[in-house]
Amino acid sequence: MNCEEFANSGFKSDAAVGPEAEAASEHLRTCPECAALYERLLELRGELRELGKASAQAGAPSRVEMRLRQEFRTRHNTDKNRNRAVVAGWMLAAATMVLAAGSVVVWQQRHGTKIAHVSPAPIPVSASAVANGPELGGTLIAASDDEQFALIPGALPGLQDETSVVRVQMQRGALGALGLSVNDEHANDVVQVDLLLDADGQPQAYRLAESTD
Amino acid sequence: MQIESQERDDVLLKRSAKGDEDAFKQLYRRNQAQIYRFALRMTGRAWAAEEIVQDVFMTLVREPRKFDPSRGPLTAFLYGIARNRVMKHLERQPRELPLEYRSGDNGTSNEIEVPDDRTPAHWAELHERRDCVRAAVLSLPPEFRETVVLCELEEMSYEEAATVLECPVGTIRSRLHRGRALLLAKLEMLRDPPKRANVGF
Repeated sequence: MNCEEFANSGFKSDAAVGPEAEAASEHLRTCPECAALYERLLELRGELRELGKASAQAGAPSRVEMRLRQEFRTRHNTDKNRNRAVVAGWMLAAATMVLAAGSVVVWQQRHGTKIAHVSPAPIPVSASAVANGPELGGTLIAASDDEQFALIPGALPGLQDETSVVRVQMQRGALGALGLSVNDEHANDVVQVDLLLDADGQPQAYRLAESTD
Repeated sequence: MQIESQERDDVLLKRSAKGDEDAFKQLYRRNQAQIYRFALRMTGRAWAAEEIVQDVFMTLVREPRKFDPSRGPLTAFLYGIARNRVMKHLERQPRELPLEYRSGDNGTSNEIEVPDDRTPAHWAELHERRDCVRAAVLSLPPEFRETVVLCELEEMSYEEAATVLECPVGTIRSRLHRGRALLLAKLEMLRDPPKRANVGF
């Protein structure tokens, strides 16, 4: 081993074992310059260790810990408050949705039951109207609108809250089935008639909306 | 850096992330000293080391999920942040080479002096030599300086230093070898300055 190889070996003669370390040790015995360099290196390492030990107990001042813990508290309290606000917001939104849904259900119960009563109810007038042609049929136009209606002969007036109005198209002659008098000359005219139905779907009153002819 | 302590660090960090202040305190007290010493030995300034420690642990407070246990122990993660801060500090003040490690508030030294029966002259010589070594270390290029600090002053093994510095063990070996050679040269200059060095400056 020459001086350059010894320098490149990283001065391994002290702790390392093996052929390279043996060659380095042999070189140290024969080369005074490298031996002196090695001595200086050992001295340097000793001084570095001394320097390390001198500041081995050094640590950050306690104020750093205080600042960090203060920041920690602030941060996590902020997070907690933010989470609480988010939860409260969602709960408020959910409560609003429930309230809105409840309102819709109540509204439907108040106004929609009349539709349910009217639609399936078979009435003689509409049946005869349908029999007169495919275009004829009934349409619910109002839940309760009994103004300008004429009472059908023989019908008993019911409670106004339970009535509904259906618009139907029929031949004028079919009105005779309701007990009304019909001019024979216009018996084949198609007319629109609003029928006031009671809770059972039976017509109580009528009014002529308009004639389609 | 034992596996058990790594697991404990992980657990503590998880608890800390959930707002457990006691867990954060334990994490801080376990790791702050080595980060502080590293920063102090790299910068040579107590106030800078204090700032760096604060920045490092502030990252743990603000972004605990940045730490990925699969990439290494928490210590290496903290050293990584500290290295970045040290490099930024050195970029800002590349020419300043303080000779003393002084703490910021009361001016007391961070070194622990052990009283014995040696003479004041001996202590003065010891201090002078220590200052020379410290100045020589601080004058090393950062990549050699951090290797010398970790392997010689912190007495880490090559493997531990390689984990902290995120480089192969061979790189640590060669940097240390080169760093020692540079230190020897600088110490010779500091202890026995050539006369021509004083001419023209």
